[in-house]
Amino acid sequence: MKVLQFEIKKIFSKFKNRMAVLILLVILVAVSMLTMNRVEYIDSDGNHVSGMPGAKSLRAEKNKWKGNLTEDVLKEVARENASINNSTEALSDDNEQQDKAYARKQGISSIAELINNAFSEWRDYNYYAIDNVSIEEAGSVYERRVSNLKKYLDSGEEIFTDLEKEFLIQRYEELKTPFYYEYTDGWSALLQNVSTFILILALIIGFLVSGIFSDEFQTNADAIFFSSKLGRNRAVLAKMGAGFAVTTVFYVVFLLLYTAIVLAALGADGANCPIQMDMWRSAYNITFMEAYLLIAAGGYVGTMFASTLSMLASAAMRSTATAIIVPFIVLCAFPFLSRVITLPGICSFFPDQLLEIYITIKEFNLVQLGGRIMNVATLIIPAYALACLLLWPLLYRIYRKAEVS
Amino acid sequence: MELKFEGLTKKFGGFTAVNHIDFTMTNGVYGLLGVNGAGKTTLMRMLCTLLAPTGGAITYNGKDIFKMDGEYRKLLGYLPQEFGFYPEFTVQDYLLYIAAIKGIRPAVARKRTKELIAKVGLSKAADKKMKKLSGGMKRRAGVAQAMLNNPEILVLDEPTAGLDPNERIRFRNLISELSEERLVLLSTHIVSDIEYIANEIWLMKDGTFVRTGTSDEIIRSMPESVWQCYVDKGMVSEYMKQYKISNMKAESYGAELRIISAEKPSENARLAEASLEDVFLYYFGEKAGDESAAI
Repeated sequence: MKVLQFEIKKIFSKFKNRMAVLILLVILVAVSMLTMNRVEYIDSDGNHVSGMPGAKSLRAEKNKWKGNLTEDVLKEVARENASINNSTEALSDDNEQQDKAYARKQGISSIAELINNAFSEWRDYNYYAIDNVSIEEAGSVYERRVSNLKKYLDSGEEIFTDLEKEFLIQRYEELKTPFYYEYTDGWSALLQNVSTFILILALIIGFLVSGIFSDEFQTNADAIFFSSKLGRNRAVLAKMGAGFAVTTVFYVVFLLLYTAIVLAALGADGANCPIQMDMWRSAYNITFMEAYLLIAAGGYVGTMFASTLSMLASAAMRSTATAIIVPFIVLCAFPFLSRVITLPGICSFFPDQLLEIYITIKEFNLVQLGGRIMNVATLIIPAYALACLLLWPLLYRIYRKAEVS
Repeated sequence: MELKFEGLTKKFGGFTAVNHIDFTMTNGVYGLLGVNGAGKTTLMRMLCTLLAPTGGAITYNGKDIFKMDGEYRKLLGYLPQEFGFYPEFTVQDYLLYIAAIKGIRPAVARKRTKELIAKVGLSKAADKKMKKLSGGMKRRAGVAQAMLNNPEILVLDEPTAGLDPNERIRFRNLISELSEERLVLLSTHIVSDIEYIANEIWLMKDGTFVRTGTSDEIIRSMPESVWQCYVDKGMVSEYMKQYKISNMKAESYGAELRIISAEKPSENARLAEASLEDVFLYYFGEKAGDESAAI
C-alpha cells in the first residue's frame, strides 16, 4: 500500500503531469460551457437566451407536455402546431413576429421532431413534415417508425442480411410505446458532447501514466528499483496499481464532474425517456440514462485500453515519449485515417470506436457472431475489457523480467 | 555467509564481459580494481540480480540467488555507478520510498531513514529535493538508501566517481565505518579508494581476475621492481617509450621518474618500495600514451 502511495506521488511530483491536470481542469470548464450553450430558448419577445437561464425556461415549457406520448397527445401536438402556424405572428412577414411564433412552439418542439422524423424520408429530415400531416395521421408515429424501417430495408439502399433485417425489425417492434416524455435537452446536450470530453480525458490520462514504468530507466533509478526486495514483484504490481488507480479515478471523477456541471446547469429531467426521442432511428431500446452509462462504459474501457497500451510501451520500450504517442495512435489515428482513405468494415472494431458509442447508438452498426446478430457496442465493450485483462499479466511479466545492462 | 561465483560468465553478443569467474566471498571488504570496460559493473549487476549470467551461477549459502528472488534481494544494498533518483522527491521521501520497495515496515522505515540521514550528514538537507543536492550529497543519499535494510551484502559501484578530494576521503571513511559485520564489494578504478579499506583486492581485466589477494600480497606478487631515477629532459620521451612510468615529477633540467622494470633502467636508478598504484599500472597500463597509464 505504501509503495502504491509513493508510485502515485511519483506521477504527480512531475511538473509536466501537474500541468496536464491543470489543462484538464481548464478543458473541463471550457467543454462544460460549450455544452451548456447548446441549449437555447427564445423568449416571448423573440430574444435568444442560451445556457442555464435558457434551459430553465425551455424546461418549464417542455414539461407542460410531460407524460406518455399517446396517440391523443400526438394529435394534440399536431393541433397545437397547426394553431401556431395559423397565428398572426406566424403568418407575418416580420422576422421578429415569426420568432415569437416559433417561441410558442418550443414546448412541443421535441414531440414535433418525432412527428417530423416519422413523416420524413429515411435519410432526410423534413423540418416542416408536421405542417403537412393531418391530425389523424399524427397519431400513427410509432407504426410509421416500424413501417419506415421495413420500407428502407426493402429498398436495398444499404445491404443487410436477412438475419440483420430480422434483428432490426425485432428491435423496433420491441421498443416500448407510448414513449414517456419530459424535457430531455440536458441529457441530449450531455450525450452529444461527452464523447469529445472522454477522448481528451483518455489522452491526458494516457499522458499521466506514460512514465510510470519508463521513468525508472530514464532517471537511471532502475538499478536500485530492480535490486530491491520487492522490485521484481510487489513493486511492479504497485506500479500497475498506480496506473489503474489514476486511470479509473481520473476517468470517474472528471466524467462525473462534467456530467454534474452540465446536468446541474441544464437539468437532469428525462433520464428515463427513450433515447429515440433524440435518436429516432436507433436500434438500442434504452433510455437517456442507459445510453449515458453505455457511452461512459465504452469510454472507460477505451481509456483503460489506451492507458494499458501506453504502460506496456513504457515498460517494453523504456521510453516515455513513445508511451505518450500510443494513446494518440490508438484513439486518434483511425478516425483521422477514415477521413483520408476508405477503411474496411473491420474498422468498426478498432478501439477508437469505444469512444464513439454515441454514434454507434445512432447508426445501424451490427455484427454477426455465431449466428447471432448484435449491436457493435455490445460486442466491443466486453471484448476490449477482456483484452485489457489479458494485457495486464503481460505488462507484469515484461517489467519484472527487465534487465539493467 | 558465503557468496560464491561458479564459472560465472556474461556475454553480450560476441563480446564476453565476464569470463568464467570462480570465487568465494565471506564477510569483509572486497575491492574490485580495473580499468573502464574491465567487466566490473557487469559483475556487480549480476550480483545484484540486474543481469542474468550467460553461464555459471552465483550462490548464496549454496542457493542460486536468481531462484531466491526477493529473499536474496532483501539481504542486498546497492549503490550503482550512475546513481539515479526521483528528482522531485525530497531526500526523506526518496529514502522512505526505497525503504518501501525494500519491504521495510513504515514505522521501522521512518526510524531507519532518520538515523541514516544523520549518519551520512544530510540532516539539514532532509527536506531538500533530490535534484537540489550537490554531487557529494547525492552520493551520500545513495549510500543511505543502500544501507536502509541493514544489508548483509553491500555493493558499491564506483562510489567516489566525480567527487572532490575532500568528499572522497569523507566517503571512504564512511564506507569503512559501514563495512563491519557484512560483505562489502567496492568497485573502482581509483586505487587509493580501496588501498586502505579493502581486506581483499581483485584486479580485473578483460572479464577475468588477473590477481587476487590482500594489498601486500598483490604488491609482492608483482614480478618486476619499482625504480626511481633522475633523467635529463631530452631523455624523458625515450624512457616513456621503453618503460612503464608510474610517476613523473618534472624539474627544470629533467624529471624524476618512477619506473616499473625487471632490470635497472639506468646507472643512477635506485629501488623503491612498490605501491598498489604501481601494481595497477603494471597489470593495466601500457607504455607511454595509454590512458590508463596516466593515473
